[in-house]
Amino acid sequence: MTAAANVTETPVVRAPSAAAQRLRTVFRSLPVLAQYLISIAVALTLCGILVEVTGGSASKVMSALLDGSVRSPGAWGLTLSTAAPLLVVAAGTIVAAKAGLSNIGQEGQLLLGCAATAFIGTRADLPAPMVIVLSFLGAMVLSGMWAGLAALMKFTRKVPEVMSTLLLGFVAAQLTTFGLTRKWLLLATNNTSRVNNGEPLPDRAKMPTFTLFGNEVSWGVIIALVVTILISFVLRRTTIGFRLRALGHNSRTARRAGVSAAIVGGGALVVSGAAAGLAGGLWMTGGSAGDRFTTNVSSNIGWQGLLVALLARDRASLAIPMAFVFAALRTGSSFLAATGVDRRITDVVQAMLVLALLVPPAIASVQRRRRPRGGSA
Amino acid sequence: MTIATEGVAASAATPSVLLTGITKRYGSVVACNDVNLALHPGRIHGVLGENGAGKSTLMKILIGLIQPDEGSIVINGGTVRISDPVAASNLGIAMVHQHYSLVEPLTVWENVVLGERVRLDRAAACARVAALSDRYGLGVDPLARVSDLTAGQRQRVEIIKCLRREPRIIVFDEPTSVLTPAESEQLFSVLRVVVVDEGRTVALVSHKLDEILHATDEITIMRGGRVVGHSPTSAATASSLAQAVVGRPVSLRSEAAALGLIETVAAAIGDSDAPEGVPDAVVIEAAPVVLEVRNARVLDVDGHPLLDDFSITVRAGEIVGLAGVEGNGQRALADMLSSLLDLESGSVLVSGEEVDLSRPGALGRVGIGIIPEDRHDSGCVLDLSVAENLALTDLGAVSTGGLLDRRAIERRARELMQAFDIQARSPHAPMRSLSGGNQQRVVLARELSANPKVLIAAQPTRGLDVGAIEYMSARLRAAAEAGVGILLISTELEEVLTLSHRICVIHAGQIVGEMSRHDANLERLGMLIGGMAA
Amino acid sequence: MSAFAVLGFGGSIFDVLSSKSTYSSTMRFAATLVFAATGEWIAERAGTMNISLEGMILTAAFTSALGSDLTGNVWIALLFGIAGGFLIALIQGVMSHRFGANQFVVGLTLNVLAVGITAFLAAEIDPVVTRAGIIRVPLLSRIPLIGEALFAQAWLLYLLYPLIPLAWWAVYRTRWGLDLRCAGENPQAADVSGIDVNKRRRQAVYVCGMCSGLAGTYLTIGQVGSFGADGVSGRGFIALAAVIFGGWVLKGAVGGAVVFGFFLAFGSVFQALGYDANPQVLGALPYVMAITTMILFARRGRQPASLGRPFVRGLT
Repeated sequence: MTAAANVTETPVVRAPSAAAQRLRTVFRSLPVLAQYLISIAVALTLCGILVEVTGGSASKVMSALLDGSVRSPGAWGLTLSTAAPLLVVAAGTIVAAKAGLSNIGQEGQLLLGCAATAFIGTRADLPAPMVIVLSFLGAMVLSGMWAGLAALMKFTRKVPEVMSTLLLGFVAAQLTTFGLTRKWLLLATNNTSRVNNGEPLPDRAKMPTFTLFGNEVSWGVIIALVVTILISFVLRRTTIGFRLRALGHNSRTARRAGVSAAIVGGGALVVSGAAAGLAGGLWMTGGSAGDRFTTNVSSNIGWQGLLVALLARDRASLAIPMAFVFAALRTGSSFLAATGVDRRITDVVQAMLVLALLVPPAIASVQRRRRPRGGSA
Repeated sequence: MTIATEGVAASAATPSVLLTGITKRYGSVVACNDVNLALHPGRIHGVLGENGAGKSTLMKILIGLIQPDEGSIVINGGTVRISDPVAASNLGIAMVHQHYSLVEPLTVWENVVLGERVRLDRAAACARVAALSDRYGLGVDPLARVSDLTAGQRQRVEIIKCLRREPRIIVFDEPTSVLTPAESEQLFSVLRVVVVDEGRTVALVSHKLDEILHATDEITIMRGGRVVGHSPTSAATASSLAQAVVGRPVSLRSEAAALGLIETVAAAIGDSDAPEGVPDAVVIEAAPVVLEVRNARVLDVDGHPLLDDFSITVRAGEIVGLAGVEGNGQRALADMLSSLLDLESGSVLVSGEEVDLSRPGALGRVGIGIIPEDRHDSGCVLDLSVAENLALTDLGAVSTGGLLDRRAIERRARELMQAFDIQARSPHAPMRSLSGGNQQRVVLARELSANPKVLIAAQPTRGLDVGAIEYMSARLRAAAEAGVGILLISTELEEVLTLSHRICVIHAGQIVGEMSRHDANLERLGMLIGGMAA
Repeated sequence: MSAFAVLGFGGSIFDVLSSKSTYSSTMRFAATLVFAATGEWIAERAGTMNISLEGMILTAAFTSALGSDLTGNVWIALLFGIAGGFLIALIQGVMSHRFGANQFVVGLTLNVLAVGITAFLAAEIDPVVTRAGIIRVPLLSRIPLIGEALFAQAWLLYLLYPLIPLAWWAVYRTRWGLDLRCAGENPQAADVSGIDVNKRRRQAVYVCGMCSGLAGTYLTIGQVGSFGADGVSGRGFIALAAVIFGGWVLKGAVGGAVVFGFFLAFGSVFQALGYDANPQVLGALPYVMAITTMILFARRGRQPASLGRPFVRGLT
């Protein structure tokens, strides 16, 4: 962007920019894999520097993270189980993204899903699998409707869904806090704690586990995989998925071809909300979240699931390993106390990874799209 | 190649622009191949060639939007590198763009001073705009908002914007494509002033033989990225130029429209032997009306009418040409007929049945096909494959029970690619990878394969080369012969005159005149297009 | 019964509106929003839908606390705050307008990054904040009802008074502002006119970052007096809503920010006046009002034509 023949700028100002330009040219000429590796290395190095500057040891942190997530006994089973809700959130986010819509209110939608699961799970007097099915359905309906509000506002009043989904998240937080003040909603009947807590979930409302190579793995992992594969299949192989993708890529052509943005796009938002609700159900019943509903039970699962989708660049197949990586950072962070480094360093690592991995595809996409088509024969 | 090259070099002293050996490649495509061009002060230099010949690329190199791979640029005797438009501007080179270079929500004076480096001074800027407007007789109000101006007025703003820095070298890129015939005349008289009285250098880029012959002093012809001819205008004839442009002997009669020979087109109208495929007027008058738009009123977001009391009918097998200068409601009409815009009042009837436009794709379902003006906007999905684009409007045919039948999609794509001669690596190639002409064929194939009752073709040949234009025209004629009613929306008068049985003229969102092909005369059409009653 | 309830409610609203403290609190809450909305307005006029606004405010809220902790000097804290906002803006600007990454994705990630990094650093450092002093402007602060609100505040708030006209002047009356508006409306046209579109967009994001820096600093040093991770809690997004509410016109955005400030302040004022209301209803009020105003007004405004779209030369 610098001008060689441009006489109005002084060379002093231009020099660093020219160097940056050269650096960029070199970076672009590298193979894609090298670009990714360099980006990740830069991100992790920055995180390492952050740890060192604040008096920690980057290598100890790394080691603790690995112990907590995969190396210690039973760890990877826990990591897999934690990955399940992340993956489901991501899968739902991908549905909305493919339709060209940005749902960023998963945290609130997931919280409502947790609330619905807790409400139904503590009350429904049904045999084991039915309670779970019913509570998950309730979670999906409630969260789906919550996202549906955003869809309604978008397609009747043109309220940007980026804003509405997020702001509705704050309202959802207040709603569940309110629920925790009323015994007929979420508050435990014999709450003795100073903070309001929910009723503990009975065992029949908890997700069962199976044992795999000595690790306890939640059945939620299977549910998450099935949901992800199903969503991927619908998007690729069905007419509704085709319409949705067409809408996401070019809404005007899609409308001309008979795709209703309100129905298909609104539906995609509702599905992404319902997925966040289901993830809430998985999280609530999976054990890691504790056994009862609290105001901060969702603990960033929604945000992290969203990051997984961003990191996977809206591809379901990539979301699966990414969800595992994020889950590993989460479970690994519980081992950080021993190193004296605050566990929230893993939040930083997650965000830095996403930022780093944005760079190579962005550059590639610009290059691909910039290359003009040949003669117009 | 048949044109003499001697005699020009001697006529002027040092050229103000000397391009030598300019080459620009995009992957395997060579947009400019070893191009030499010399422009001289005080002369209008025509750069003639069909779309895709490389003339736009060459001019973009000259104004710094594109960097050449090889070759040298010498401006007023000094070798330079033109890295961006600012650099070009500093060298005294400016361009009057065909499209998209004005910012609509801003006023004229703000647009004119855009890109300058000096302090913003509204009073001085307005005074300068008024002075330039007076000097060239352009009649532009510096305080007007650009969004309120007509296409012709906007181009005059472009010209002022270009002249404000007193450039020595001016490039006009297809300047008449948005002008009425009268406005074109006025433009060329301004060009004369700029060149003769002020000694500037002008390059006029065009694919229209007529205006190149009419307005220039010397001509360079490009084809396939190369310079294939060069001559003084006085030594050129329409047939020699046409042959050089297309690269083979051509009949001026049959390809007049594609070459931009309005006079030839007009002369042919009176002749008894109408072009092939044009059925007898009597037959058409008896055919049923397939599309009727009644008193349509369409508003833009600010509530201004885009179409106002607009009515038109199309009969089966009839080609109705809708002539008019760009920006008079054609886009709104095409959008409305793609069910992208809803009617404020009025109605649209297909085969006598009223259609509810508020439902997406409503008109597609009742048999209206459309080739939109901007295929990237509403004609195709660039990020889907060719096969998927071909299946877009008719998913029912390639699916069972909501599941896509991928083999059926591919089979259908292969059939259509063959039938419409679509050049693509495979049916799964992304739409984005296709050339403009092939993308247009994909849209055409999809729309015609749905067996529509009516086909709306909005600027169907814009940006295509002569061969592709001919192909498109032949397809439209064949469709009409097969009984499809065709509404041809075009700003190219030549095209409308060649193809249509009946011609309507749109101005300010209304039909202002209508005539059958046999009664058409250029003078009356020109006046109607300019909004004058005739 | 219900008639009394309505009467009682109407009376309480009247009390709220006639109380001086309402206006003072509103301004205290609104100031953060106004600083941020002004910056966001500039970024959006240049074509960036800058949703990392939240992260910018949060980062600045922390860095200003850090500056205050290190020196105890409000000016230094202010510099730190501006630098913090600028840092996030730098990443946002370079990633989205140099590397061409999707600006929403970058913004979203930066918000998450800001939450993580400030929470992490706050846990490691735990800064102690020295508040900015309250300055009563003579005479002006005696204006009935609104005098104290406008002229008896922490002095950081007074930075708003030059900032708003300055922002207006820069966008509408300078060459830079003209370039910027073109970059937001029609980047192709700006480009062929010789304007470096992405540079202007980056600069607008940087300005937005610095304004958010003021917002975050005011929040920590001027209003709250400490850094809390959930202190920002969606204010960036409410400021974004204010820009939409204002129809991409500065005075509308500022007005919207003040209105939303009122709803943020409403809960504390309402309870301070002795009225009882459900705390969750009061807590949800600002968000509900932000949503409601967008429902009412989002259709009305004319957004910059190229808002949210990346610009790459020669790219369609």
